[in-house]
Amino acid sequence: MTNGWIDIKNTDMMLIMGGNPAENHPCGFKWPIEAKRVRNAKMIVVDPRFTRTASVADHFVQIRAGSDIAFLGGIVNYALQNNRINKEYVVNYTNAALIVQEGFKLPDNIDGVFSGYDPVAMTYKNASWNYEEGGDLTPKGAVPIAAVASTLVKPPAAKPAAGAAHAAPAAKPAKMAKPVAKPAAGATPPAIIASLPANTAYDLSLTHPRCVYQLLKQHFSRYTPEMVASITGAKADAFTKAADMYTSVRKDGDTKKVGTIIYSVGWTQHTVGAQIIRTAAIIQLLLGNVGRAGGGVNALRGHSNIQGATDMAGIWDNLPGYLKVPVPADTTLDAYLARITLKSAKPKEWDSFNYWSNTPKFAVSLLKALYGDKATPENEFAFHYLPKADRKYSWVEIWDGMYNGKVKGLMAWGMNGVAIGPNSQKNIDALKKADWLVVCDIYPEETSSFWEMSKEDEQKKIMTSVYRLPGAGFAEKDGTFVNSARWLKWKYAALPTPGDAKLDHEILARIFLKVQELYKKEGGKFPDPILNVSWAYNNRNVPSFTEMAKEINGKALADLKDANTGQEIKTGQQVPGFAWLKDDGSTSCANWLYAGSWTEAGSQAQRRGLDDPGGLGTYPSYAWSWPANRRVLYNRASCNIDGKPWDPDRRQVWWNDGTQRWAGNDVPDIKVDAHPKDHMGPFIMTPEGMGRLFVPLGGMADGPFPEHYEPMESPTDNLFHPKQANNPVVKKYKTDKDKYAVTGSKGGEFDVVCTTYRLTEHYHYWTKNNPANVQLVPEPFIEISEDMANDRGIKGGDKLKVSSARGEYYGKAMVTKRIKSLMINNKKVYPIGIPIHWAYKGIREDKEDKATSLNLRPLNNLSPVAIDPNAYTPEFKGFLVKVEKA
Amino acid sequence: MSTNTTALTEGSVTASGEIVRYSYKERLCHWTNGVTYFFCLCTGLAFYSPYLYWLSAVGGGPVSARMLHPWIGVFFYLAVVWMHTMWKQQMTSIPEDQQWKDKIKDYVENNDSALPPQGRFNAGQKLFYWVMYYGALSLLITGILMWFPEKWRSLHWLMTIVIPLHAVAALFTIGAFIIHLYMGILMVTGGLSGITTGTVSKEWAQHHHRLWYDKIKQGK
Amino acid sequence: MANDNLQIKAISAHPGAVASGASPESSYEVCKLIDTTTCIGCKACEVACLEWNGYEFRETTFDNTYQTMPDTEWNYWNLIRFSEREKDDGTGLEWLMRKDQCMHCADPGCLAACPADGAIVQYENGIVDFNQEHCIGCQYCVTGCPFNIPRLNPSTKTVFKCSLCSDRVGAGLEPACVKSCPTGCLHFGSKEDMKFEAEKRSKQLQANGFPDAGVYDPAGVGGTHVIYVLHDAKNPEKYSGLPKNPTIPIMVTLWKHPLKWLGNIGMIFGIAGVLTHYLRVGPKDVKQEAKR
Repeated sequence: MTNGWIDIKNTDMMLIMGGNPAENHPCGFKWPIEAKRVRNAKMIVVDPRFTRTASVADHFVQIRAGSDIAFLGGIVNYALQNNRINKEYVVNYTNAALIVQEGFKLPDNIDGVFSGYDPVAMTYKNASWNYEEGGDLTPKGAVPIAAVASTLVKPPAAKPAAGAAHAAPAAKPAKMAKPVAKPAAGATPPAIIASLPANTAYDLSLTHPRCVYQLLKQHFSRYTPEMVASITGAKADAFTKAADMYTSVRKDGDTKKVGTIIYSVGWTQHTVGAQIIRTAAIIQLLLGNVGRAGGGVNALRGHSNIQGATDMAGIWDNLPGYLKVPVPADTTLDAYLARITLKSAKPKEWDSFNYWSNTPKFAVSLLKALYGDKATPENEFAFHYLPKADRKYSWVEIWDGMYNGKVKGLMAWGMNGVAIGPNSQKNIDALKKADWLVVCDIYPEETSSFWEMSKEDEQKKIMTSVYRLPGAGFAEKDGTFVNSARWLKWKYAALPTPGDAKLDHEILARIFLKVQELYKKEGGKFPDPILNVSWAYNNRNVPSFTEMAKEINGKALADLKDANTGQEIKTGQQVPGFAWLKDDGSTSCANWLYAGSWTEAGSQAQRRGLDDPGGLGTYPSYAWSWPANRRVLYNRASCNIDGKPWDPDRRQVWWNDGTQRWAGNDVPDIKVDAHPKDHMGPFIMTPEGMGRLFVPLGGMADGPFPEHYEPMESPTDNLFHPKQANNPVVKKYKTDKDKYAVTGSKGGEFDVVCTTYRLTEHYHYWTKNNPANVQLVPEPFIEISEDMANDRGIKGGDKLKVSSARGEYYGKAMVTKRIKSLMINNKKVYPIGIPIHWAYKGIREDKEDKATSLNLRPLNNLSPVAIDPNAYTPEFKGFLVKVEKA
Repeated sequence: MSTNTTALTEGSVTASGEIVRYSYKERLCHWTNGVTYFFCLCTGLAFYSPYLYWLSAVGGGPVSARMLHPWIGVFFYLAVVWMHTMWKQQMTSIPEDQQWKDKIKDYVENNDSALPPQGRFNAGQKLFYWVMYYGALSLLITGILMWFPEKWRSLHWLMTIVIPLHAVAALFTIGAFIIHLYMGILMVTGGLSGITTGTVSKEWAQHHHRLWYDKIKQGK
Repeated sequence: MANDNLQIKAISAHPGAVASGASPESSYEVCKLIDTTTCIGCKACEVACLEWNGYEFRETTFDNTYQTMPDTEWNYWNLIRFSEREKDDGTGLEWLMRKDQCMHCADPGCLAACPADGAIVQYENGIVDFNQEHCIGCQYCVTGCPFNIPRLNPSTKTVFKCSLCSDRVGAGLEPACVKSCPTGCLHFGSKEDMKFEAEKRSKQLQANGFPDAGVYDPAGVGGTHVIYVLHDAKNPEKYSGLPKNPTIPIMVTLWKHPLKWLGNIGMIFGIAGVLTHYLRVGPKDVKQEAKR
């Protein structure tokens, strides 16, 4: 979330789409309710079915699963056509005014792909997705955007280096010696990557035909209400009502009201997932809702600590703190840092903080945390101990690799790979080919029992050694949870671990120390990264959470002094924040984003202060929020360019003329002394300092603007471009288990759109083991519409067989008014929905005969292996099936 | 003649000249009725009024009283049916009953000589019999509905009627019962032995049930 | 038990005066407010109720609904009832979720109907509580209740229902369901405050697309200590059969008042009548008669 849960209470308008917070985030959902109750906020829910959230919404629109970009694109178009935008915000805080290079082409012009597409490799060469070099192209005499022209102050030309000067302690090139470890043989030098022009061309009147604003307008002008209706199945007037309601916060030039967009995995679990979120971001940037209390783009995380997992390198191509994983081309630390450290790109009269310019400090401090004294300037701070990703190692790639015999073993920790899928049967078959499997969980779940679904003679042929380790439940551990609002909140163990169960990290530590011992004894190809790991814990077998939390925060390895304030910290002291991190090895920090969470003042995550200056629910002394205890990201954008809040009643931060500094009820997300006249962009994490309506170069794998592509399995042709139905860079997998339905107008037996979701009564695949949850919803069911039931002679409670190109699933029919058939491209389409929770391990399940019972298939037997090219998330939310009575 | 009263047949004359009013079977039946009715009366009254709640002691306290009441009630009804198989014929109305009813005032005032001769059961006894018979039937039907309210939960309105009906039916039987008790024990002296040991004096029979007495004499 | 702190207002089938509780505190009327317009049917209240009252979880079966089971049970006092229907004005769907439990009437039909001394008590704070140790299992309370709430435990033959957590309230806590509610659709406080909140909320709803919104606090039972905010207070039946004008069934009232007094008078007069008859007329003495 750019904002936070409590902050939702400050909103005037909610668009909840791709998420069902009432179902999956019922505790957090008190804040949308609070907004309704206290502020009279409106709630729009857009979903493939009428959800629990929809039951309390002001307006509900049913759409086809996987058509979200079309719907949101329609809202973008509506906002642009009806002038429901915050122009001052758009011109100054987004890249709307920047000019895009000649040669860039929109998909409408080339068969549904952006310029640079390589149809053979199915990738983009994205050099044309770039800004034009140059200066101010605002037409002379043109009436620029009114509010802007009068207030925009261009700094005198004598301050060209303002950006560099202001950038917080400039990154000093670290002294680096020759690499000690040899680069991998055959590694190619870093490819020459096109970079952004430091001095971009711009047109503040937003009229230049190649300015981002005009391209955006042109691109989304195709998303008319009729087109939206035809693609999504929503009624055109229902769509228009939603678009009108949502953009009404900018009706008649209002800049006080705020709208928020709330989403969850209903958006991410598509082959266009990241682009759906991009479309939402575009809406919010156009309306000027990002950075404001009650605004933002808010991802609701699906597990209690998934945000923390993501921050600590939950995705294979990330290191902690969203640093990029090295690749073989990074032959030296310098080369690596040069590749991943962005340089600012902006109109030369403006300023950009470009906070990622500090990347080397974060990376070197991380290496110091990982390898301690063994990370020295001489060995490039042990950079070569880091694995270099030679290919993709995302979730489905691991299983695909195992199925293809390349991955020989798997340690599954706190997840249930078989049930999670996609294509569960492929995962089960992959495990049959593995040499070993280690599962650490609190229940004997599907993955560690993968053989149970095979017949006895088949079971005898499975040679995989399976080790079950008894882990600990969340209530049995101390430590922090990081919630969707980015708060680190310390929690305390409520119970001791039962029986032989051990804290997960104890199990991990013991395994690691054993492996280390073996390396010590036997050597190996490259034992250094294992032998030299910093393991300075009091109890090496059970490192304490306190020690680890302090290690993550980071500490000074030498006496440090801030040149501006004169503040000093001594060797061994905790760093107060990431501004103190150094790239010369004098600090260590395991995750720069968490620097400040455990300072010399103690654990900030344990704080429980209830003071709320400003009354916006900021609660700055309750727990601790990354980054820097900032509760709303980009909050500089909550003020106009003069540094005054858009809405004086919702003051978050503001420019204080007296002190010549930014002040506020929240921690200002801007260089604290950046005078508004310097025009430093509020989006300090982009090189432009601006919110990106257009994402240049390699920011997105599948296009600088979002475009509607059909799910991999769809009942219709792509109405924009029949020749390019799906996301052009999404590849199909090739094993015999990876079958995909024939789609679109050629489609055949699989003609029902299936979406999947969780229920509030259950938690993933665990709660089948808990009588309370089993009582509330006892068995698998399939939600179908009344007219589908009539058509096919199905009654509520009938046993159904749902099959996809890959597998089958059985459950009882729930005939409901909450799902309705849709008219897609003049064709009637039946959507269905299935909750994910059941498979073959649990209270009820264990009573059944697994070899014969049909009830016990994992739902993800149905879902296809097709992933979003940016985030590698599988497409669980929209695929094709057929439905029969079983 | 043996002194064993179980061997007495109704309408016979004993060695000592007493007339057998009720056979053993009849007496057994009567007292089965009496005891079960009395039990249901006490326990029922306990649930009827907070001021009579103490009567539940008859059933062993409120909980067991409430549990036993319907069961004993069923036994009561069975006893009524049993009695009915024996007395149904004798309880049907005859022309003399009307004459008796016309003279009810004389009966109440003990002006018995003004009364027409009566058979084995006079009209008042018959009336009592039928009040108890239909009362028991009503109590049975309403009682069974009240016994398993969870079975007809959807017929909530019916239950609201059934409970007062049960009470009304009981009240009718209570009224009759009070008179029955009074007459049997206090008012009609010499009759009580008929329902206990089985016999009454010739005089008594002649006085109260002349037709019946005459029939016995003729039969003799 | 903490509910010993609560002052007693009425006791079922109790002859004589009602002894008040020992608490020196003056109690005010409490109330649970259920805002159905913000209920998401998450069932946290169902689980909290079960756990606080120590009842076991049971096996259920799928029944074409999100509702846990068809009806409340003696050991399942709190059930969210789900009802999906097309709106009357044709503008789409409404998925109504209503938390069903004892309404704690100010004029409780169960208590009126109960024949067992002390089986049902009403506290001064409005809570109507069942004391199973005094319950005789006659289920007259079921008949007396216009909301169809009390449920018989077939093994103990005693009747159970929501106690509004009188044991928690007596200790100064809110009921378990209210404690567990994640959206804040449940509120607990004084009747006055809850009524105020409810009226405020329904006014807001009336101004925002729900002209018929209102508070459900039926006068027919003297008001209740569980009140609802409904989107459509004119048609409470659509919330899975919430009665529109609940009252203590007229027959129960007739039975408990006029009929009972008529009966009592009848019985007393009957007994008195026969006794005076004995005194006035005396027995029918056959011998005397014969002599006469």
